[in-house]
Amino acid sequence: MTPIFAHTSSPAQAPGLPDRAGLGLKHEHFIEVLETSPDLGFFEVHAENYMMAGGPFHHYLGLIRDQYPLSLHGVGLSIGGEGSLNREHLARLAALIERYQPQAFSEHLAWSSHGSVFLNDLLPLAYDSATLHRVCEHIDQVQSTLKRPMLLENPSTYLQLERSTLAETDFITEVIRRTGCGLLLDVNNVYVSCINHQRDPSAYIDALPLQAVGEIHLAGFAEDSDSLGDRLLIDDHGAPVDNAVWQLYEQVLARIGPIPTLIERDNQVPALSVLLAEAQHADWLLTQVRP
Amino acid sequence: MTTKLSATALILALGSSLSLSAMTTTAHAADDVKCYGIAEAGKNDCAAGPGTSCAGTSKTKDQANAWKLVPAGTCTQTPSTSSPTGFGQEAAFDAKS
Amino acid sequence: MSHQATFAKALLAPGQICPDGLFSGNGADPASRFAVHRNTVHNGLINALAVAYPVTQLLVGEAFFRAMAGLYVQACPPTSPLISEYGSTFADFIQGFEPAASVPYLADIARLERLRVRAYHAADDRPLEPHTVLAALQARADLGTVRLRLHPSVATMASAYAVVAVWAAHQTEGGLAALDPGHAQSALVLRQGLEVKVFAIDAGSVTFIQRLAQGEALQTAVERALEASNDFDLHQCLTLLISHHAITHLHLDSKVSP
Repeated sequence: MTPIFAHTSSPAQAPGLPDRAGLGLKHEHFIEVLETSPDLGFFEVHAENYMMAGGPFHHYLGLIRDQYPLSLHGVGLSIGGEGSLNREHLARLAALIERYQPQAFSEHLAWSSHGSVFLNDLLPLAYDSATLHRVCEHIDQVQSTLKRPMLLENPSTYLQLERSTLAETDFITEVIRRTGCGLLLDVNNVYVSCINHQRDPSAYIDALPLQAVGEIHLAGFAEDSDSLGDRLLIDDHGAPVDNAVWQLYEQVLARIGPIPTLIERDNQVPALSVLLAEAQHADWLLTQVRP
Repeated sequence: MTTKLSATALILALGSSLSLSAMTTTAHAADDVKCYGIAEAGKNDCAAGPGTSCAGTSKTKDQANAWKLVPAGTCTQTPSTSSPTGFGQEAAFDAKS
Repeated sequence: MSHQATFAKALLAPGQICPDGLFSGNGADPASRFAVHRNTVHNGLINALAVAYPVTQLLVGEAFFRAMAGLYVQACPPTSPLISEYGSTFADFIQGFEPAASVPYLADIARLERLRVRAYHAADDRPLEPHTVLAALQARADLGTVRLRLHPSVATMASAYAVVAVWAAHQTEGGLAALDPGHAQSALVLRQGLEVKVFAIDAGSVTFIQRLAQGEALQTAVERALEASNDFDLHQCLTLLISHHAITHLHLDSKVSP
């Protein structure tokens, strides 16, 4: 497999996103953002929420894009799907990127479509050579269609698959090596998955190709329990970033320096000021590691 | 034929009757107009509809059996055209389960 | 069946099936963890419907709505990653859903709410200013041959129930008093600027607007509207469309097809 983007030292370091904190843009906050122009590094939106023909979403995103760098985050491409990528969807994505010229595009290491059904969830993959081959092929197709490198996000997982023969970190490392894509390091996903699978989050991070990190995600999780009563963390984006995740984030920054960092909140969306306070905290931590 | 004639008559009358002041009247005093009760006070946020999410949900809610449930919202406050009491029916549908 | 096919099937199945080939590192029953995905899929899609159909939910209450939406999710899962479009057949499902039969106007309320979401996201074709339309129309002797192009957000629906009144009653406090859903009403939905608006219109206007949307000339559209309703008021209907920026093009030359 020929990498479309040669694996140089920092393959998909999004050139335009500043090494600052950004926020997921929620439609509840469109007007306040425009009226108050908060001091933020960037905004990120879900690509699929802006694939409609027109209307207020495009109106407001256009105005906000004029003022801020933008990251486009896909949630529906099903990169790990057994079938081929949805070409129609990929074309919509290319059109959206053409329209808004985002500084970064990212997607998930997961699958979400099967046949004609879209399952609206990020589902776990078997980490074996067949999946590796397929994921790399799909990422090559995305990168050549979009004519830019993408960032791949490490998943939150709740289950392990018997068919897996590779550790998740080895799988990710190999995908990045083969395709030249970058890594969107979701520190909350690292924490959630490691607690769920009784692994050491620091060791997990050490095993990743950190030089490829182009963006970091931080979010809150919910807590549940499994049939044994053990902690089962759920990546619900419905709470403030947990202290344990902030600590892990500091460790990452100490290792690799400042990286564009997104605060994600998709459920129980609070007032903009609450999210801005979290972004400010991330910004302060970023300042601490600035050379 | 009658329809055709009256359509022509209506259109002929149109050229002279359409005016900017009529626009303003319709837009602002619609309640006075015979057929058009304007209801535009809708909350536009709702019209946005849903968005995508890449987040999980933890709440394990037991799904109620819809076949055993009865509509129990504001419909019980409006007269019903089909129920014998004139209001939303309170009897459960047991036909299927 | 492939692994993902089995997984997808189990996610949407009504029972608590857990596919093979899964395990938990701590030895816990994988079914207790697979449930996270099942809940995410179901709750996520039911929530999506609740956001798109707020009045439908108010009418039947949250418990009934969520149970009904849950059955719809199983019967009609999304076929596109564009979740804003999910639920386009929900009203038809409600129409055939027996436990909702005591609220006979429920499906039409859902239809109206779908038109609002559709209008909200419709394309941004630039409307003609009212004075531009008026100036052009007033100057014509052959108005009957004029064709109008309507804004992509414009949609109509006819109902045997007072859909607009029922919907509007849920937009204001105390709006439910003195509401009688039992008379026929039709609706016009459009987006003016950034705002979605709903109007009650008569049956003749529904026909008129639909004919215009199909590219018929004014003369034919008016004839069809009068056939649908003797009370059709051309002046009033056209004034409504013009003043709410629903017209994007005037084809004044009868030879030019729309």
